[in-house]
Amino acid sequence: MTDFDKLSRRDFFTISGKAGLATLAATAMGTNMGMVQVAEAAGMSGGKVTPFRFAIITDSHLYDIADHKFDTQLSDAVDKVMAMNPAPDFVVYTGDIAQNGTATQLQKGIKILSKLKMPLHVIPGEHDWYLDLGEAWRGHFGSPTWSFDHKGVHFIGMNSILLHDFWTAKNMSPEQRMDIVTMLESPICGPWGVREEQLDWLKKDVKNLRPDQAVVVFTHSPLWDYYPRWNFQTEDAPEIRDIMRKFDHWMSYHGHVHQTVYNKIGNMSSVGTLSTSWPWPYPPVTLAYPDSQMLRADPGNFEDGQGTQHIDLEKNFTGVVHYEPFADSLTPFMKNGFKV
Amino acid sequence: MKLNTKKIAMGLITPVALIGMLAFNPALAREPYTKAELADQHKQLIDMVNKGYELWHGSKASMTTNGLACGNCHPDASATNPATFPKFQADLGRVAPLRDMINWCIQVPLQGTALAPDSEDMVAMEAYAAYMNSGSKIELGVDKQMPNDVVKDGRGYPWKGSGIGYDKGKGL
Repeated sequence: MTDFDKLSRRDFFTISGKAGLATLAATAMGTNMGMVQVAEAAGMSGGKVTPFRFAIITDSHLYDIADHKFDTQLSDAVDKVMAMNPAPDFVVYTGDIAQNGTATQLQKGIKILSKLKMPLHVIPGEHDWYLDLGEAWRGHFGSPTWSFDHKGVHFIGMNSILLHDFWTAKNMSPEQRMDIVTMLESPICGPWGVREEQLDWLKKDVKNLRPDQAVVVFTHSPLWDYYPRWNFQTEDAPEIRDIMRKFDHWMSYHGHVHQTVYNKIGNMSSVGTLSTSWPWPYPPVTLAYPDSQMLRADPGNFEDGQGTQHIDLEKNFTGVVHYEPFADSLTPFMKNGFKV
Repeated sequence: MKLNTKKIAMGLITPVALIGMLAFNPALAREPYTKAELADQHKQLIDMVNKGYELWHGSKASMTTNGLACGNCHPDASATNPATFPKFQADLGRVAPLRDMINWCIQVPLQGTALAPDSEDMVAMEAYAAYMNSGSKIELGVDKQMPNDVVKDGRGYPWKGSGIGYDKGKGL
């Protein structure tokens, strides 16, 4: 028995947020010790979830060019998900089907994703949205804000890339607006977030849920300040985390960053996802869980640093994250899945 | 052996005196740059860096046939490590200068037409990469070519604008 067994759940979260002990916490979670035992030691009610698997595909960034390599890479991800055994109960696409938000890019993505035989849930990314402010996207997928229950877990999807209007005063065309949003390093568009309407929706959606309810939230952008210079953030994430504070534990899965990354803030476990298009370098920040950073991609291998992922949810609401890279880019920490 | 101290002294004094004369002769010394000259030199550099920024983000159509630009994989010219070149590049199979790697990226991932190595466009590309990474701590083999900041929880994590291209804002 390690010292972790003796910690209360609150203690665990407290120490895991401190830099000096974060590595120790990560080590504990990477072995057979970890969240489940700690949670059970604190008397958390377990067995609420019927174990199952879901998969995530994200950030295909399709262009208006026929037979583009990104088309093939998205198809490869779909094939990878279809080959999973056991199969995922459903797939979530966490944004940026298109590169420039055109109808043809979205339609191309829908055609490729239609090969999935299981239900597909979709949220938008900024590349899908700012050519026509989401009109084509909503025409295909409906509301970007949704929730549903599955085998004891409450799943939530939200549109996290909503911007304050920066284009009207500058009399920008839709294409100019899209160009600026497309630029990762552009500060003109400002930080994005889910905004008041979705915050109010979230409050209502979780109002009657018990603290031990298993909850998973999908957004395009991370729900913490990862690297705002590249808009790796969600401006009102603190408000989201505050609404979700009542839960013993909740999981956040996001796209946008095109890389493997894991973080833990309070009762939130946050997991970044591999894109199917290209990998971004890690931003110059220090992370509490550096082992969750994949190896640097080989630019000569077009599929290195990309892929898809699935998560096995266990009965005590532990998620085991399995990245499914196209090439071998995982550290030992991630090879056989890690618990969140 | 008796030392000729007079000869030794003359041998030392003569070069020192010559250096002193050269140093203080206004006809031979270069005047310090004026503020206006320095400002002009800086402007020329920044103009070149800005030109590089535009090229980096897709302003020259011949550099790509698949819609990608350098900025897709290298935002802020990250993961370029310009100060570490020339070095062995596995993709080229030889020791190469940065411009050769830039052209490799244009020709392979971007499927475009390489820049002439001695062109102003190439100088601009190198200027942008070097400028964005100036003062960086060099860590070979990793992406952390810029100084690390510790991630903070919550809102308000600041960044400084580079002043280049679109990035003329005051930060978030």
